[in-house]
Amino acid sequence: MNPKLKNALKRNAVGYLFLSPWLLGLIGLSALPILASLYFSFTRYDMLTAPDWIGLENYRAMFEDQKWRNSMKVTLIYVFLGVPLQLIFALSVAMMLNRGIRGLRIYRAIYYVPSLFGGSVAVALLWRQLFGGEGLVNLLLRQIGLPGYNWIASPDTALYTLIVLKVWQFGAPMVIFLAALKQVPAELYEASRIDGAGRWKQFWRITLPLITPIVFFNVVMQTIQAFQAFTPAYIVSRGTGGPLDSTLFYTLYLYQKGFTHFQMGYAASMAWLLLIVIAFVTAMLFLSARRWVYYQE
Amino acid sequence: MRTRIKAFAIILLSAVFALGIAACGGGKNNGGGSSGGSGDSGSGGQSGGGSQETVEIRFTWWGDTARNDLYNAIVDRFEEEYPHIKVKREFGGWADYWDRLATQSAGGNAPDVVSMHQFYVADYAARGALLDLRTVIDSGELDVSLFPQSTLDSGTVNGTLVMIPKGVTMPGWVYNTATLDKLGIAYPDINWTYDDLINISRQVVEKSGGTMWGTPDMGGGQLQPNFRYFVRQNGEDLYTEDGKLGFSRDTLVKWWSMWKQMRDEKLIPDAATTAEYDGVPLEQNLFVTGKVALFQIPANQIYLYEQQFQEGEIHMVRMPTLPDGQNGEYLEGAYLSITAQSKHPKEAALFINFFVNNQRSLELFKVEQGSPANTEMAEFVKPLLAAPQARAVDFIQTVIPYASSAVYAPAGATEVEAAFKDNATAIAFGQKTVEQAADDFIAAANRILQQ
Repeated sequence: MNPKLKNALKRNAVGYLFLSPWLLGLIGLSALPILASLYFSFTRYDMLTAPDWIGLENYRAMFEDQKWRNSMKVTLIYVFLGVPLQLIFALSVAMMLNRGIRGLRIYRAIYYVPSLFGGSVAVALLWRQLFGGEGLVNLLLRQIGLPGYNWIASPDTALYTLIVLKVWQFGAPMVIFLAALKQVPAELYEASRIDGAGRWKQFWRITLPLITPIVFFNVVMQTIQAFQAFTPAYIVSRGTGGPLDSTLFYTLYLYQKGFTHFQMGYAASMAWLLLIVIAFVTAMLFLSARRWVYYQE
Repeated sequence: MRTRIKAFAIILLSAVFALGIAACGGGKNNGGGSSGGSGDSGSGGQSGGGSQETVEIRFTWWGDTARNDLYNAIVDRFEEEYPHIKVKREFGGWADYWDRLATQSAGGNAPDVVSMHQFYVADYAARGALLDLRTVIDSGELDVSLFPQSTLDSGTVNGTLVMIPKGVTMPGWVYNTATLDKLGIAYPDINWTYDDLINISRQVVEKSGGTMWGTPDMGGGQLQPNFRYFVRQNGEDLYTEDGKLGFSRDTLVKWWSMWKQMRDEKLIPDAATTAEYDGVPLEQNLFVTGKVALFQIPANQIYLYEQQFQEGEIHMVRMPTLPDGQNGEYLEGAYLSITAQSKHPKEAALFINFFVNNQRSLELFKVEQGSPANTEMAEFVKPLLAAPQARAVDFIQTVIPYASSAVYAPAGATEVEAAFKDNATAIAFGQKTVEQAADDFIAAANRILQQ
């Protein structure tokens, strides 16, 4: 063995030993299954009999699968509508809370709470109650004389109720925005006020440029999360992705393929394609970041 | 000094590891966890632990909480009878049950005794996941001498007996006598027709002033029993023996047109309402909440429904018949299988034997998932039944003579069913015509079944 390497190993042996529980977990619970799924993605695998090597057939089949195309479309709408709306909302609330109002901590906690529950089954169930045919939303609409509508069970609105749910979980990005806003130096606002800048101008010229790194961080994190969203669609549509596949998220279709239709090979190839799509979108975000993210150094 | 710290760290770490491994071992070893310390459980697992060898098997079923209590009680009695067999129980709702079973089977971790159903048995049997039960019948653990041949045939896939009925049942349509009395509508005849279904629905809508529908939308959803009965009445079946689609486009168009006509006439709920009630639990469904007057269920659930109503009795009639058509009936039920991976097939067989042949089990089971297939046990439970359960048994016995054998679904059937549901929903939402949907479905089904 290379003496240098040997030396380094010796020096770090204890370190690796201490790391070993985590390393074992990483290898056994993450790395091996990930590699296995890569292998399965090139096979026809029904989980009960041995996998059957079919090369790129799964990947080719995806492009002919209308349901797959639809699930991609639904997911893209969810990501590209849900994430911006959520972040705009989070930033607005953060700006409001940053005005030095009394009881900030309480408000902050209250607004953060939905994020804690957001991905949970309970909230998705609550959503059904809220937007169902006899739900609270319709009750309120009828109170003011408007006709009710079956929001979660109509194909043209079901997805938007899930986007509203996404926006409602604005707590985590809001807290991060709030921290960023507090970092913006007060003297910049004072100086600009003397120069005659209004609030609107201050926001566009001072606040927003200075927090772009945080905006970038939130965009990346929320985008990746949104691509992987599963629970809301699974619970709200009772696992069907209905009505008419309007809430058939990519992950939900993947789950159906793997666990209801016994096509684990196809599901594995879907998972890898999703990884590629997320990697691509994230890379694009990073590339674009050079143009609009402003680091103060 | 430094080496000492190192040595200490290593000792500490090994201790942590040793504990971790011992904990894992304790969890995996059969029966050792509760009785002995970690030391002897390790050796016990290997040597067999002396004279009193305890075997652990796992049993899983689907159902609601009432059924879980009931089955737990049956399993307790089995453990009393066979003290050396411990039965670990796993249960869940219908949909979760199948997702979990698929995952467990894939992981080589399926329970020994699993509850099985006609919808899914082909998926498992075709892939060799179920034990040939003849082996445990021949070796004497499982006795099926009192089971009529037809009930065993219903558990035979491709010539192999892979499941034993817990109970046999038949589907039918139900109504609440109080509801129809109040509306002033005459009860349907047991041999009613599809025209009767439409006519009674019309009366329901009319006499309730539009506050009720006749029936839920049964045109889509699952392929069986409703559509399958219609197909069989037309002299076809869902699939052919060699695993192809077994019915014609014409039959499908007739079926969906009938439901479309009812939807257009507002005799059944609109598409959005149907979607909203899709898959809701029994106590929230359209029938129990009084939004429809007629409903289709398996006979063994009559008593569950009767519990939900303050007044009236739940009566059942046959699935609507087709004048000049054939009988659609075929035997259905809930079954027990042993998985091919089971390490204790003999103990698993003893358990099934107790479950379906022993009075101590049947006096609890009664007709929980259908009338017992063992003829002696069917007689034994009769005096124990409450009125709605007795009505279910009467119904099943009246209808069974109409039953003929049915073709098992090929692998891929769950996906065909999804395509059926998707296209029916598209018609309901007005996105496809009946003809378009029929073409799309048949194309999709042929593609799936080719694979």
